[in-house]
Amino acid sequence: MSLELGVKSSELRETKRKTITVAVAGNPNSGKSTLINAIAGSRLYVGNWPGVTVEKKSAMFEYEGSKIKLVDLPGTYSLSPYTQEEIIARDYLITEKPDVIINVVDATNIERNLYLTIQMLELGIPVVIALNIYDEAEQKGYRINTKAMEEMLGITVIPTVATKKSGLNDLLKAATEAAANPSRYAPKQLHYSEDIESAATFIQTHLNEHHSSLQKRYPMRWLAFKVMEGDSHMMKEAGLDIDISLIEQATKHLTRAHGDDIESIMADERYAFAAGLTREMVKRPEIRKMELTEKIDKVVLNRFLGIPIFLAAMWLVFKLTFDLSQPFGDWIDGATAGPLSRLAAKAITAVNGPLWVASLATEGVLAGVGFVLAFVPVIFAMMFFITFLEGSGYMARAAFVMDRAMHSMGLHGKSFIPMLLGFGCNVPGIYATRTLENPRDKALTALLLPLMSCGARLPVYVVFIGAFFTTHAGTVLWSMYVMGIALAILMGVIFKRTLFRGESPMFIMELPPYRMPSLRNLLIHTWEKGKHFLIKAGTYIFAVSIIVWFLLNLPWGVESKKDSYLGKTGQVIAPVLEPIGFGNWEAASALVTGLIAKEIVVGTMAEIYAVEQEEQEETTVSEDIREIGASFTAAVGDSIRNVFATFGVTSISAEEDDSVSGLRTVIQKAFTPLTAYAFMAFVLLYMPCVVVAIAMKHEFGTWKWFGVAFGYQMVLAWVVALTIYQGGKLLGIGI
Amino acid sequence: MGIADVLIMILIIGGAVYMLYRSLWKKKGHCQGCDSVACEKKQL
Repeated sequence: MSLELGVKSSELRETKRKTITVAVAGNPNSGKSTLINAIAGSRLYVGNWPGVTVEKKSAMFEYEGSKIKLVDLPGTYSLSPYTQEEIIARDYLITEKPDVIINVVDATNIERNLYLTIQMLELGIPVVIALNIYDEAEQKGYRINTKAMEEMLGITVIPTVATKKSGLNDLLKAATEAAANPSRYAPKQLHYSEDIESAATFIQTHLNEHHSSLQKRYPMRWLAFKVMEGDSHMMKEAGLDIDISLIEQATKHLTRAHGDDIESIMADERYAFAAGLTREMVKRPEIRKMELTEKIDKVVLNRFLGIPIFLAAMWLVFKLTFDLSQPFGDWIDGATAGPLSRLAAKAITAVNGPLWVASLATEGVLAGVGFVLAFVPVIFAMMFFITFLEGSGYMARAAFVMDRAMHSMGLHGKSFIPMLLGFGCNVPGIYATRTLENPRDKALTALLLPLMSCGARLPVYVVFIGAFFTTHAGTVLWSMYVMGIALAILMGVIFKRTLFRGESPMFIMELPPYRMPSLRNLLIHTWEKGKHFLIKAGTYIFAVSIIVWFLLNLPWGVESKKDSYLGKTGQVIAPVLEPIGFGNWEAASALVTGLIAKEIVVGTMAEIYAVEQEEQEETTVSEDIREIGASFTAAVGDSIRNVFATFGVTSISAEEDDSVSGLRTVIQKAFTPLTAYAFMAFVLLYMPCVVVAIAMKHEFGTWKWFGVAFGYQMVLAWVVALTIYQGGKLLGIGI
Repeated sequence: MGIADVLIMILIIGGAVYMLYRSLWKKKGHCQGCDSVACEKKQL
């Protein structure tokens, strides 16, 4: 086995381009997105778990006078067309023909990464290796001979540490140089055994003779390999209709001699080459210590402890989230309901605006949007802790320990990844189902995903927990998430026996080493996840708040909100909700508007109950501003004390009954702890929001799956709320 | 309620409905601000 100079596919590419296109490809979790973010200062989503990048994404920047477009391809282990990620990556490299590929190779795991590298070399595109996570390899005592690696592969190898921005300048220099001189940097290619090479030559000759037009589109040697491997996806893509007997004629002696199919034979040779190359280049310490990752995994992945540890970790996340953010939420709530409302009313009165416009601004927009904004601190705190778990590598373990539970519902651990994304927002979770190869898995995962409690439901929980369950806030919040997961497992088992019969495929998941996520990455990705809610508040929650105000005040001059259009709609629906404990028009109306987005449930409640608030005293503008500042300082202090309270000191939220907002006070009159819990469960489970519905239609091309989700979730929400309410009544709990 | 009030009301409701249509329907449910397929075409 040896390497020879590859085909000059530079002819296939345009030599001069204004923009240099650099594809960044590599194994999952090798740090591609981190590398791009470090280079271009962009904010691609990074997580210490495989499968983060599903789509290709790009970042533009300038380097030494050249415009560079970095394209982040999904992480793949090979370029075989078995998964969506592999197809996206391969199709891009073949059809878009980037000027150069930066192949990100995990320096701590070179042998496995080289398999993909070898396949990339066959494409004839200049390749530069970013030997990433080089610092960890050095810490482990690996000595990597990069010069030997360069000589053997015929490409430039640059050690990098993307998280510390180390080696990036050398990498860009090498990439731009390779793009400028593609013929000089044409990579060497693996020379397979003589049998394979002669079969490939036979096929390639046939292709050159009968399909010469393809020479402009594909490297012909590579195409010959694909034909030999029987790659139907590629043959269809190229419009190749080759007589099967011709392929058999070229390969039958190989399959007979090896007793295996061509694809496996070629894969074996690639693996053997990668292993040999690694032996030559990497010197490992002779005595290997048990690494920290292994020590932690011994406990975290323990058969009996795995799931309890996962549940405990989630509990701690919710408890910290609640304790840290609650004072800030109260501050925003207090500021919008008090000083800001007064300021808005004064401003409108000052310009002689109609009274109803002042009411729309204060009781509509500020009550609706302001109330939802009060939950932004909770959402950001939650996203921060979830991002920390993702970045540390724990989330991959969570998927691993959940694999068994997932199998019971006919899925495998990989399906848990879109579900984990669903804890932030169900919509990216729906899109992430495309990482699943099997259409059955995709549909089933998308159906169960809305049961994962997204951030939009948090405001509802926080209001009701604040009103009824302050002493056990974290536990009640945690119970909502656990209920979602448990019901997803139950529904999965039911679907597996009805709509989705069949076995779930085996899934091998890579467990990345534990890493301490950098604060910069944590903050960037917390912001990326959380800003979605701010944008929502500024767009459709704002719009719905206005519409709800009108629906509560039309027909014009209506005396009681109960007689308004929204009130009447609520009254029609209320009887259905009677058996589950909240058959009042206010709750029914809030649930209807919550179909747009679940945060709107509390926004609408804030608008409905706005009249119930006490008359506010007359204050000056400067007093209002001072009040906002003073309450913020108090919120910071409360938040810090609450975090300590998490670890044993008495919780402030448990002590301060006076701080409950106006809405919580009204809710305490309209609900009991039991009906409040049933209501929270109903909000968790009832129909996915409109955005999820549209995402499902977009992803599956049909309304069918949304229809199924809508139907089963409505029934499930009603049945669960009924069980909680009637069960609690029977047992005399929380009445 | 005068004609000016009615006009302001129509304007506000029209604007709110358009905002809803634009953010929910026209963008086909793309998750605003998230890093999923929604931002595929966005140049960072």
